[in-house]
Amino acid sequence: MKEQVVCKTSDLQPGEIRESFFGKKNIIICRTQNDNFYAFMNQCIHQGAPLGKSLLCGATTDESTPGDYHYCHKDEVIRCPWHGREFDMKNEGRMLANPDKKLASFKVRIENEDVIVYK
Amino acid sequence: MAKKQIPLIDTDIHERVQYKDILEYLDEPFKHYMKNCHWIQEKHMPYTQPATAGVDRADAILPDGRPAGSDLAFMQEQLLDDVGHEFGILTGALDPSPSSMHGWYEMAAALATAYNDWQIEHWLEKDERLYGSVHIAAQDRDEAVKEIERVGSHPKMVQILLPIDDIMWGDPYYHPIFEAAEKHDLMIGMHHNEPPVYYGKWPRYFIEWHTLIPTAHMKIIANMIFNGVFDKFPKLGLMMIEGGFTHIPHLMWKMDQQFRDLRHEVPWLKRKPSEIMKAQVRITTQPAEELTKKEFMSLIDQMGTDEMLCFSTDYPHWDYDSPYRALPNMEPELKEKIFSENARAFYPKLPDKREE
Ligand code: FES
Repeated sequence: MKEQVVCKTSDLQPGEIRESFFGKKNIIICRTQNDNFYAFMNQCIHQGAPLGKSLLCGATTDESTPGDYHYCHKDEVIRCPWHGREFDMKNEGRMLANPDKKLASFKVRIENEDVIVYK
Repeated sequence: MAKKQIPLIDTDIHERVQYKDILEYLDEPFKHYMKNCHWIQEKHMPYTQPATAGVDRADAILPDGRPAGSDLAFMQEQLLDDVGHEFGILTGALDPSPSSMHGWYEMAAALATAYNDWQIEHWLEKDERLYGSVHIAAQDRDEAVKEIERVGSHPKMVQILLPIDDIMWGDPYYHPIFEAAEKHDLMIGMHHNEPPVYYGKWPRYFIEWHTLIPTAHMKIIANMIFNGVFDKFPKLGLMMIEGGFTHIPHLMWKMDQQFRDLRHEVPWLKRKPSEIMKAQVRITTQPAEELTKKEFMSLIDQMGTDEMLCFSTDYPHWDYDSPYRALPNMEPELKEKIFSENARAFYPKLPDKREE
């Protein structure tokens, strides 16, 4: 499977996640408020939760100091529906608490209204 | 590829009642207070951040919006049938729940009765895999004993969920409860709830509180052991639920060493504290501390027995442990003990292994 149209851009609103298939692989497509699209395997690398039920949100950052929260990333973070681990979409799906770990990701491009996933 | 089924005895599953569902089980005037005076349980937890859906797994919330754990059919599909549970032990405990109620003894006792009746009718008698916990309002001890006498002989009630309060469980105050437990072959379960474990207040951050739950377990175990509860009630067993398990070797070593020095203060102890623990205390695994296989095997070795740990998922809560992923791979014999046989040996009312 080289590439595949998985949905239309209008199939998901900014800030939404949609489940789909890339070949036989169950994947999620995420659309940020800035209309960037990302695709990942629909399975958390921690204990296997279905990421289609995740929340796209912002996150507190490591610029925070004790007693002083710094929050950003807007809606670029996937928070797992089970243990709530945070994965940064813009940074290859890396886990915020442990950037050595990352979600399995796919490339995405938009052509006309088509969301195309490829390896 | 179909997932391999695990014939698990899951020692911590949270069913959940909603106020509207428990109403019909409440006697008056308590029904009136809930229905007409809009009583809701006071809650203090100052945090909302654990995960994306409060304390629940986001995918365990029902499609129609009802709270996680409130529907048997959904639980069967998402948990029991999916994993292949042999048995599951219900531990309830989200509000409205007598386990976290203080004050208003009459309401707490009425709530316990209503809760037990609801649990029996909607869960224990609807799925043969599910076993239950007797809820009591221990602030009124004599009423609590009556409630144990009322429902404790139900064949599917396997333990008493003893609420945590400011009287430690080794105190003679609780002896009549332990006596009733022994009489009905019920074990005692400790599952944290409010109040918190931090000098009577909540710590500044949830992560602190959640990290230190095992300290509350250690206090209760030490208190019951040194107060001689397990010798006075030799059939009694204590299941410590949802505190993880890596603190266990530490506690056993510590108590044994102290006992060598200070035995004279607690001369009623007939066995070493670690021996008492090995015989009468069991620990559920969740939230598992994510050890490597080497670390995990070394910890079992440090406990001196592989018969204390009992697997638990804590479904449907956010920190659910997957039976497939939470513990490292282990030999089939050890896996069978941790995933089912240890719990089966602990709870006298769980049936023997089904003939295949
Ligand atoms: S399964 Fe995703 S954070 Fe644990």
